[in-house]
Amino acid sequence: MALPYLEELRAIVGDAGLVTDRAGRLAYESDALSLEKQLPELVVLPLDTAQASAVMRVLSKHGVPIVPRGAGTGLAGGATPVAGGVSLSTARMREILEIDPVGRTARVQAGVVNAELTRRAAPHDLFYAPDPSSQAACTLGGNVANNSGGPHCFKHGATTRHVLGMIVVDADGEVIDLSHQGPDPDGFDLIGLIVGSEGMFGLVTEVTLKLVPIPDATETILAVFPSLDSACDTVTEAIARRLEPSAIEILDELTIDAVERSVFAAGYPREAKAVLLLECEGSAAEVEATSADLTELCQEHGCLEIRTARDDADRRRLWAGRKGAFGAMGRIAPDLYVADVVAPRTRLREIVRIATDICHERGLKVSNVFHAGDGNLHPNISYDRRDTDEVRRVLEAGELIMRACIERGGSLTGEHGVGLEKQEHMCHLFDESDLDAMRRAREALDPDLRMNPGKMIPIRGCREMRTPEPMPQGDDR
Amino acid sequence: MSVPPTTAVEPPMSSMQAGVIVDYPASLDCIHCGLCLDDCPTYRLTGVEPQSPRGRIHLMRAVAEGRLDPEPGYVEAIDTCLVCRHCESVCPAGIHMGQMIEVARDGLNRVDPPRWTVRMARRIGLRGLLPSRARLSLVAGATRMLQRAGLTGVVAKMLGPLGAGLRDLPNVPPARERQRLPDFTPADGPGFGLVALHEGCVMPQLHGRVHRASVRVLAAAGDAVLGFSDATCCGALQAHNGDLESAREQARRTIAAFERKTADDGTTPVLISNSAGCGAHMKEYDRLLADDPEWAERAKTFVTRVQDFAEHLAEPGPRERLAQRLGRTDLGAVTYDDPCHLCHGQGVREQPRHLMSDVPGLDVVTLERPESCCGAAGLHALLRPDESRTVLAEKLRDLAASGASVLVTANPGCHLQYESGLQRTGSDVQVLHLAELLDRALDGAPT
Repeated sequence: MALPYLEELRAIVGDAGLVTDRAGRLAYESDALSLEKQLPELVVLPLDTAQASAVMRVLSKHGVPIVPRGAGTGLAGGATPVAGGVSLSTARMREILEIDPVGRTARVQAGVVNAELTRRAAPHDLFYAPDPSSQAACTLGGNVANNSGGPHCFKHGATTRHVLGMIVVDADGEVIDLSHQGPDPDGFDLIGLIVGSEGMFGLVTEVTLKLVPIPDATETILAVFPSLDSACDTVTEAIARRLEPSAIEILDELTIDAVERSVFAAGYPREAKAVLLLECEGSAAEVEATSADLTELCQEHGCLEIRTARDDADRRRLWAGRKGAFGAMGRIAPDLYVADVVAPRTRLREIVRIATDICHERGLKVSNVFHAGDGNLHPNISYDRRDTDEVRRVLEAGELIMRACIERGGSLTGEHGVGLEKQEHMCHLFDESDLDAMRRAREALDPDLRMNPGKMIPIRGCREMRTPEPMPQGDDR
Repeated sequence: MSVPPTTAVEPPMSSMQAGVIVDYPASLDCIHCGLCLDDCPTYRLTGVEPQSPRGRIHLMRAVAEGRLDPEPGYVEAIDTCLVCRHCESVCPAGIHMGQMIEVARDGLNRVDPPRWTVRMARRIGLRGLLPSRARLSLVAGATRMLQRAGLTGVVAKMLGPLGAGLRDLPNVPPARERQRLPDFTPADGPGFGLVALHEGCVMPQLHGRVHRASVRVLAAAGDAVLGFSDATCCGALQAHNGDLESAREQARRTIAAFERKTADDGTTPVLISNSAGCGAHMKEYDRLLADDPEWAERAKTFVTRVQDFAEHLAEPGPRERLAQRLGRTDLGAVTYDDPCHLCHGQGVREQPRHLMSDVPGLDVVTLERPESCCGAAGLHALLRPDESRTVLAEKLRDLAASGASVLVTANPGCHLQYESGLQRTGSDVQVLHLAELLDRALDGAPT
């Protein structure tokens, strides 16, 4: 089957910028949410803004839907291809264009890997603060699309607080240069609108980012708890006492076991029911004071042991274990459903329990590893996608956990985005007029609705969605 | 997402054929997180998913589940892997990529045999040449004659695409440097241990000097050294290129030959490999022969005896004895580049660095991304010279930035790859095997 636009695109990006054969395209059929699959018609990999713009003009002329893709590490299906559409990957746009150590900014192409920026900024005593667990592979463009978070966003804020400017190519190929915005842009703040828009307003090709000075002192603390409850309560109390570490993470027993069996074994105690991973940064005096307060607090809550990272290597090990946790679950089952919900931080213990019960009632194996400081929970459900009934139970549990969070004042996504995974659940949080407002914003920027269609905003009306549906039983499809 | 999912649940593995051409159970360990992407040399080069570890595993699984035929795009994805195994070092789920690629290539060779010319070339190279010291010696001698007569260019042209390798080949040393190691070399000083040095296939022909340096260094560290050339090739290149049948045959020959090295009193030597690729492969004979009832147990015993050269010398006893013998050398700034099959394949990272730090006054500088592949990758440099050179180019830039005048490695493939790359770019950086570096420092000026 010859695509009518193929040769036009080949003239722009060359053979190296195209994946046309079926096997090659099959490798793009999902992002890290492997439950959702769709073969793209074609994968196009431009090298820069000019090529991206030319490619998108051709696709506009032929009315072809476009799904932007970075490294495909997203967990909500935001980069799942659409039928009849083209996947537009930024994976070859990996130039760091400029690092300004004085102004503390970096200008990068969208395909630059998150960790690469931090590596290249290090000689200037700077780093890029948002640090998603996938930072060794995920792209900064993908971070912008999902307003990605990470452990250190507790202190530094998610991606949106670090984006100073960008270049976006819209669905028709027009280049919108927002790279020289001041702190208070003239007119509407388009950058604020585009960060977190999941590729539905255009393709971000370049980003100007804020870099943060590496703090004078950093201390990483590992607190070992006899129960998940006591670890959760410690976090709630730390927030109440206004303690300000830069990161507060919780890992439970099953997660510790998986990590300790992997190449990222960090020395987390195998006998612990939960550990808190805390980091303090700032001046030496600040760090000392905060870590003393945190240590005391942990002890008040019955913590069994406190360890402090001895050096940078030790600190890196502790964090590598946390960041490899998702992948390490491959040791437990072939697939993993990473839920991503937000709970009020005063009710962490309650919601973690509810999530655990929901899974156990359905015979599912759940582990918890999450950004406790932000109330951003990740109940991780291990399963095997070849078992249809298990898949049904996983999705049912995912939905019930989400609803439980929303009912208790939380929200449906912390940092992974909505994508396909949570599209229908938007109705639990927004009413029809909210969703209409979103649709109008989208139509203003992409009237033909060709950018990442079928994602985020529910396709059906919410009234229909809200009609109680009996859950399908068993393998009866 | 709707309940139940809209995507079709794939059929379980059905045909026998699918099971045989892909390591299906291993493919299920991958959870599709993508943490491997940026450490994969072919993904970094091309930016495309089918040339990443995650993409390759996804396609293997699709083939096993009957969703994809082993069509040319799949073959390309499997063929382009450098088997550097860097992904294994960063995979939280513990993927065994080396093994999976070997099985997938072996499967492809059977269901979709390559052209007869390629089959013939492989047969001659992998089954006829590598296992025979005598034939290798003959070829080395002939090559030396060509080189001395200045005819390599002409012959390279006649060989077509394979000729590039001949052109890049370093000068073959004279016959006296290609001889077998002595059967027995006593410890240089009081004796403590007994080791056998695995000579291998290509190394004796091109890097006999590395072997002799290794013997001197091991002897200085208190080991008596046996030459071990009985089985010639360990079978690594056969396995990497998807000829598991020959690889198993070489493994059996190697194990049998090694068993004959057991002394009458039951003492077994430690089998030392100074070639990272061979060492990594021999350490995995147990899984290669796991299904062979006659050999499985013997393989398990064998692998406990294999050690890398640096791994052995960095143990407390040998290291202490060797350190006392090391003196100053005037090499200038030195840097170490981890061979993939040493760091990713065997987890040997610190040991070579510790040994280098024992050389008094040695100026060791760091290299960026020392664990990334140089592009040699076994036969890859011969089969895909352009891609191999592109991968090397990034390493050569890092090497230049390090300011080193000597690059230390511990694997013959990397050694040759760097030498030819440096020669092409007109650099005067020198390449040394770790054994050569230590040998030069032996009995150098005291501190």
